[in-house]
Amino acid sequence: MELDLEWEQEVGSKLIVSIASGKGGTGKTTIAVNLALSVGYCQFMDYDVEAPNASFFLKPDIKHVKKVTIKHPYFLKETGADFSKCAEFCHYNSVVAVGSEVVFFPELCHGCGGCLLVGPERAVREKDITIGEIKKGSAKPMIDFFMGNLKPGYMRTISIQSELDKSLERSELVLIDCPPGNSCPMVFAVKDSDYCILVTEPTPYGLNDLLISIEVLKNMNIPYGVIINRDGIGNDEVEKHCIRNNIKILLKIPNDRGIAESYSRGETLIEYDESWKTKFKGMISEIEGVVKR
Amino acid sequence: MKQLTIISGKGGTGKTTVASNFIKLARDHVAVDCDVDAANLHILLDPDIKKKEEFIGGAVAGVTGECINCGKCEEACRFGAISDSETDIKIDTLKCEGCGVCEYICPVDAIELKTEGQGYCYISESKFCTLVHARLNPGAENSGMLVAKVRNDAEDIANKYNKKVLIIDGAPGIGCPVIASLNGVDYTLIVTEPTISGISDFVKAFELTKFFDIKTFVCINKYDLNLDNTDKISNFCDKNKIELIGKVPYDDKVPAYLSNKKFVIDDSESKAGKEIIAMWEAFSGYLYSS
Repeated sequence: MELDLEWEQEVGSKLIVSIASGKGGTGKTTIAVNLALSVGYCQFMDYDVEAPNASFFLKPDIKHVKKVTIKHPYFLKETGADFSKCAEFCHYNSVVAVGSEVVFFPELCHGCGGCLLVGPERAVREKDITIGEIKKGSAKPMIDFFMGNLKPGYMRTISIQSELDKSLERSELVLIDCPPGNSCPMVFAVKDSDYCILVTEPTPYGLNDLLISIEVLKNMNIPYGVIINRDGIGNDEVEKHCIRNNIKILLKIPNDRGIAESYSRGETLIEYDESWKTKFKGMISEIEGVVKR
Repeated sequence: MKQLTIISGKGGTGKTTVASNFIKLARDHVAVDCDVDAANLHILLDPDIKKKEEFIGGAVAGVTGECINCGKCEEACRFGAISDSETDIKIDTLKCEGCGVCEYICPVDAIELKTEGQGYCYISESKFCTLVHARLNPGAENSGMLVAKVRNDAEDIANKYNKKVLIIDGAPGIGCPVIASLNGVDYTLIVTEPTISGISDFVKAFELTKFFDIKTFVCINKYDLNLDNTDKISNFCDKNKIELIGKVPYDDKVPAYLSNKKFVIDDSESKAGKEIIAMWEAFSGYLYSS
């Protein structure tokens, strides 16, 4: 893929643009990946650490892998110390103790260190637990690629995202592929955005979840626009809602079994049909206009 | 009482479509929507809300007293939620986990943990059964706690009215709401699709159900979209002794049924509908055996 230097200078954008969706499977990753490849020059961050998929399409060359750990306590029962204070303190009910008899539920532990603080001296120790990893690399043409991956069984989504946050640099256009939903992992992923692209599908489920996402972004004062993916399925309620409420529809992508099949093989939309590239570039210029206004 | 949770790893693979059609086919059951921040089960079931209750979530820390800016809380916080400002501290409620360490360590008792309403729980009646669902406030935390609350309410109702089955629609991903929706259930159905992303997320979802030692079934939705990938999923199932309980063909009409508030199983022409019915019949053997 050739890099369009003129485009790069023209944009030289230092915006943070996140791609989110209340409903899952509406095409967040598709949009994020195709935007990145169309612009060619950006920092790409996959914040969907529970189900990271962007790497299948960007095929980055991973250069660094960093383990993410938290600390879990262990209790030296043989000291005969009384651990009941640890159990009393723990807000997550991960410690149950009667005197020196103690049971620890690791899946409930957040690793706050409270039990170490309040427990009997020298009888509570800590060890590192790996909850996932961060990967860094580069993808063609000039994409700095970052992703997080949460290990199944741990509820530490935000801990992995926090680790990704440390690599967020505003030195170029930043694209953030968000996790689905409208709760804390989504909020965490969009929090630094100058603009958020909400991807939806024209069905009652898509509309219902879009309206919740819009509330989230309004509360956070983040400007947004909507992409309607698989246009033609379902009904036109999403479009009507956007028009009635003056919400910018950035793009409509038609429903096409060919697109779905090419996606299933790990191909991108612009590989399927190169004419999308111009539309995605135009979209970033448009977003830049909105933010700088 | 037997409990079945439907999850997927990847979003949008068809969890809610499968769940709502199962709910229409089932008897002696309670429906539960555990995707509390993007709940959709009520859309097709169209129930009347009978009871609404506010959900008080977990605590977050806040500065309530005179801060002396000693920095002890910032140092102790493992979540990076506390930062210094000129005169006092700032607590980032997004990062705060409500662990209480800062409250404990503060020498002048300037920090307090506070709880607040973070959403609503509903008990509703549909044509088919009772539906227990919720709405997390947009952007709120503690979705896992709300899922646990919804499931408790559903279990209470099932016990009270002697219901035999709970059908639970889960959230995408593998994080806290998903874990809370799997905790202690008898069976889980992972709905996946034959795409590269679908496979990767399915494997992670399966690792999760294995971690919690829950009997797992798999349904490949839109299986004919990519037959090579469908083979890969089915080989993975063989190797890991997971029962592949259904393969639903790609059907462009499914979203149209939804838009017209219709169930795909009611169209006798629909191959997707037939497959969902066959899948439910296979499940019934597990769910209604004593």
